[in-house]
Amino acid sequence: MKRSYVIKRILYAIFIFFIVLTLNFFIPRIGVRDPAERYYPPQGAMSEIEYEIIQQFTREQYGFDVSTFQQYLRYLRGLARFDLGTSLRPGSPKVTELIGQRLPWTLVLSVSTLLISLVIGLLFGTLAAWRRGRWQDTMLLNASTISVALPAFFIALMLSFYLGFKLELFPAYTNPNMVAQFDWSWEAITVVFNNAALPIMSMTLGGIVGYSQTTRNSVIAVTNEDFVITAHAKGLSHRTVLYKHILRNAMLPLATSIGMSISGLIGGAIIIERVFNWQGMGTLFLEANSTNDYPLMMGIMLFLSAFAILANLVTELFYVILDPRVTVGDRR
Amino acid sequence: MSKPNVIFQIVRRGGSLFSLIKKLWQHPKGRVGLILVSLLVLTAVLAPVLAPYDPYDVTQRAAKGLRPSLQHPLGTSITTGQDILSMLIYGSRVSLMIGVSTGIAIAFLGALMGVMAGYIGGFADSLIMRVVDVLLVIPTLPLIIVLTNLLGRSYFVIILVFVAFGWTGLARVIRSMVLVLKNSNYVKAAELAGASRWYIMTKHILPGTSHLIIMNTTLTCAGIMVAEAGLSFLGLGDPTAISWGKMLAEAQGGGALLFGAWWWILAPGAGIFLAVFSFMRIGIVMEEVFNPRMKASSGIYKLFKHLNNRYLDEVFRSMDDEGDPVTSEGSDTPPPPLSGGGHD
Repeated sequence: MKRSYVIKRILYAIFIFFIVLTLNFFIPRIGVRDPAERYYPPQGAMSEIEYEIIQQFTREQYGFDVSTFQQYLRYLRGLARFDLGTSLRPGSPKVTELIGQRLPWTLVLSVSTLLISLVIGLLFGTLAAWRRGRWQDTMLLNASTISVALPAFFIALMLSFYLGFKLELFPAYTNPNMVAQFDWSWEAITVVFNNAALPIMSMTLGGIVGYSQTTRNSVIAVTNEDFVITAHAKGLSHRTVLYKHILRNAMLPLATSIGMSISGLIGGAIIIERVFNWQGMGTLFLEANSTNDYPLMMGIMLFLSAFAILANLVTELFYVILDPRVTVGDRR
Repeated sequence: MSKPNVIFQIVRRGGSLFSLIKKLWQHPKGRVGLILVSLLVLTAVLAPVLAPYDPYDVTQRAAKGLRPSLQHPLGTSITTGQDILSMLIYGSRVSLMIGVSTGIAIAFLGALMGVMAGYIGGFADSLIMRVVDVLLVIPTLPLIIVLTNLLGRSYFVIILVFVAFGWTGLARVIRSMVLVLKNSNYVKAAELAGASRWYIMTKHILPGTSHLIIMNTTLTCAGIMVAEAGLSFLGLGDPTAISWGKMLAEAQGGGALLFGAWWWILAPGAGIFLAVFSFMRIGIVMEEVFNPRMKASSGIYKLFKHLNNRYLDEVFRSMDDEGDPVTSEGSDTPPPPLSGGGHD
């Protein structure tokens, strides 16, 4: 029963991925019949032959030189070899190569944000649930409203202004040589985290509140379960009940939200990376956007979607394995 | 049943829009939200009257980088000498227009999809839920950026894209609600009496979900305002209009951080904060008014942190896993209609 469920989930994830990659192929083709006409209209005194050559070249560059169906097959064949296509940048680097260069830098931000906000969020959330209705709880409620209403990029600007320019505690702007000079030495790592401090701070503020809220709600939900009442009735200490019975079970919804937020963090770092000019995937995406580099943009999109699908699948399976109460069915 | 009638039904259910506003007014937090939202609407409508200068008029620009003074209550910008207060006032138009129109459009689309998925079920349900699943895994912000690049950077396109990718959350909420309502006695009675599907959907199911729709709409408005500010900040909004996000981007690009022009950054930030905060306040208070059981709780506002509210995934998962959506609500009765269970 369980195995068939696992197989079903995996097949469903593959199905979703197939739809996403098909969409990914067709989205840049919305309204673009011929990239040559769209991006290189005839200009000035250009002879017909010259224009013909430019058109031909542009079509080849964008991969529009064959029929749409053949383009799709070509795209699928490329994907089967983990090839996301070629960027339109000078030197025609591979999209996977560019992503590979920038991904670690985004991961520095997102993984540290995730870890910091998870730890602090767990503490605050448990506290708020434990002191339900008291001032700790009310504070969390107000903090949630405020953290949604204050966009992360505004927090980032303020941090950059006060901690960066006024107090000069951290670099207000990422050191442009940081990436080139990185050599795994202790100093280089310190430089990276020094530069990453402000971006991470501006992203964790929202994350902390989010995880606190999830933790609080799931702890309260578990506190009302029968087995917790039983544990209390057996005379176990509050501490034992909290750690062994409540927190362990309250982790499950949290695990789900972690899985989903990882992909969200990588994609959501776009604006923060722009504020600090952090050379991650977000700035790569914006660079691609400003140069109409569709292969690169769609490559990043596909990568993020695949990541999200994988994360969802893993958390789903995780859920089934960990929570005995989950009835195995295939609705949803 | 014509469309205006449906709207009327949504609003009217168990009391008028007036009584809803009255309930919000009686709630201290709701009163703050209502006052702030009405101020915001007034500011946006009366922008040409209220603004001391015309931010679009290049001939009136003052000295550059003036600190806040009587002449320029919020100072002027460093690059062009535009009056910040006037820009702030005009910026409220964009936020409000995009937030509210997108919110309402999402309410319609989300409710339609949710009711169809929940009530018709079968093929329609699985099709809609597959679409929701696909939209959930595609990263929203990058996709919006790609689409605005392809379709043009006008506000019409931005609203269209926000609606196309923002309805999934509401559809899921409505769907689960409809699944509960579908099995209620009055719907079964209507079915037995031979009522058509369309009649039941518009007359019985949709009014039953009206409180969810209204509440979600205010929260969606807030979420969309933040998203729009972010998009404008990235320089992807309408290039001809003045918006708060664009003001922040200009402030950063114009060296406001470097030269210490705090008024240039704080003003649009405060604008975004107040607008989003007031809408959220109303949404949260509505939640308390409609559903007193969930008072002081629930983080439903977390839902709209992202365009697709991901928190609901957990709620749905637990509902589906437990097999019966009713039990996870903790009650067998359908939730109170608009007038029921008011906040005391």
